[in-house]
Amino acid sequence: MKMEMKPLSTPKRRFLSGLFGGRKGDRISVANPTSIISVELMEKTGIFFPEAHLDPEKMAELAAAGHEILGFDTIMPEFSVQQEAEGLGCLVDWGSPTMMPDAKTHPAKEANDIQIPENLLDKPSMNVVLKALEILRKSYGDHVGIIGKVMGPWTLSYHLAGVQDFLLWTLTDSDKVRRFLDRLKEVAIAFAKAQLQAGADVVVIADHATGDLVSPKTYQDFLLPVHQEMNQRIGGPTILHLCGNCSDRLRLFVEAGFDAYHFEWQVDAKKAVQVVNHEMSLIGNISNKEVLFGGTPEGVYRQARYSIEAGVDILAPECAIPLQTPLANLKAIVEAAKEGYSPMSC
Amino acid sequence: MTQEETERFYKALRDTNLSAIEALIEEHIEKQVSPVVILNEGLIGAMGIIGQEFKAGQVWVPEVLLSARNMHRGIDLLKPQLLKNHVPSRGKFLIGTVKGDIHDIGKNLVTMMITGAGYEVIDLGVDVSKERFLEVITKDHPHIVGLSALLTTTMLEMKEVIRTIRQTFPKTPKIIIGGAPVTQKFADEIGADGYGEDAVRAVELSNRLLSDNASR
Repeated sequence: MKMEMKPLSTPKRRFLSGLFGGRKGDRISVANPTSIISVELMEKTGIFFPEAHLDPEKMAELAAAGHEILGFDTIMPEFSVQQEAEGLGCLVDWGSPTMMPDAKTHPAKEANDIQIPENLLDKPSMNVVLKALEILRKSYGDHVGIIGKVMGPWTLSYHLAGVQDFLLWTLTDSDKVRRFLDRLKEVAIAFAKAQLQAGADVVVIADHATGDLVSPKTYQDFLLPVHQEMNQRIGGPTILHLCGNCSDRLRLFVEAGFDAYHFEWQVDAKKAVQVVNHEMSLIGNISNKEVLFGGTPEGVYRQARYSIEAGVDILAPECAIPLQTPLANLKAIVEAAKEGYSPMSC
Repeated sequence: MTQEETERFYKALRDTNLSAIEALIEEHIEKQVSPVVILNEGLIGAMGIIGQEFKAGQVWVPEVLLSARNMHRGIDLLKPQLLKNHVPSRGKFLIGTVKGDIHDIGKNLVTMMITGAGYEVIDLGVDVSKERFLEVITKDHPHIVGLSALLTTTMLEMKEVIRTIRQTFPKTPKIIIGGAPVTQKFADEIGADGYGEDAVRAVELSNRLLSDNASR
């Protein structure tokens, strides 16, 4: 008897299935836990930075271009890492079409200096994300994966205290580091819950205790218990974004209870799949520096095929792409995915 | 200085308490150890070990920041003695993050390591224009110029800085570059004399460039 044809998978089905390590379907999903906005994409839509960081309609429309123009299975409207920083009192320079926003001031030297306003989620730089998610849910929520994003307490501490001081405190004043994380995790939890309620299928928690800056032990001592609590209290699906070479701490991320980990090219996909052992999904890991920004569509294709064959669950650029990344290189990720699990040519 | 003595400096540099390095420097000054030996074999020797551990992935950035803080304190205490003895520096190193870029952690790590390796460092900070680089090179004649950029946008500014410097100074100073988006290929394309993947490699590269220069 002839087998019945499976219905073609849709972007949303593909993405959700990959997120939870489920049925493989016809091909791997391509997603963007971090920004895929480029200058070329801004030119094509006529919507530019910095307006798109602060206007919900523009934010939603520019974000949707990642699906409409590039063919990604997801839409993720938070492009910068500074949305919360302004809400928490940092002076933010919102940048330009070729420059991502940056916090200019770091107002907290003690945990008591951290001011969390009662109406934090109404602060314009944060509310814009919730509004954009609501717009996207209405227009795309039925068939495209909608991804939210919040900064974790480690990243928020960088914004509020400055990277150098905060890192030094991990050695000289560990209690202060814990007090910072303890206060700031509440911001991440509240914002993540609000994003899920606004229509996100999953929330990325970006927490830059990166493999290039701190040791696995630092993650284990300071962040692991905080991330475990956050995952419990947020309740909905979460993706950890934490860059650098984290090959030596993948099991800790599993232990933290994330549904997926968004990882870099520096982490070998084959080894990652082996170590993580399907206890958490892996999303990644096309190199920004070598191929997306600095390479060719052929280079992107080769890396993408390597990651697919290694068994990653969802294909994605490793991190927020450089703004000058050529569109052709981004499209090459989707093209490589469309060849399915067994490529036509490789 | 014996290896055990250098080891004591290593421990003091890694101590979270500044008093460890302060006491050690004072002890050596009291014992009338030459400040040059305290600097080279004590502080710089110990910093070299930490640098190698960093390169090998045995210590991370917080440990380097801590030892750099301690080393600066040690150098401050030694300064009056060093001035009396007129210790020559290994070379003059000019550093800055290029225009449009305000990121400084990578630049600061290089500054710390380069200082720790015995160079005299002129740190121009962040968002430095090509005109400013040229002005300081003309005035201070550094042996090496280090350019830093974290962003792919500002990385392109490095090319402009190098072009500007080379119009007036075709061969020296040597110009080296670094930063997250930078690669050796990019360094070659824009005519830099070298690329340092991290702060320790920036020191090694500078030493190599200076010895190449001297042997010519």
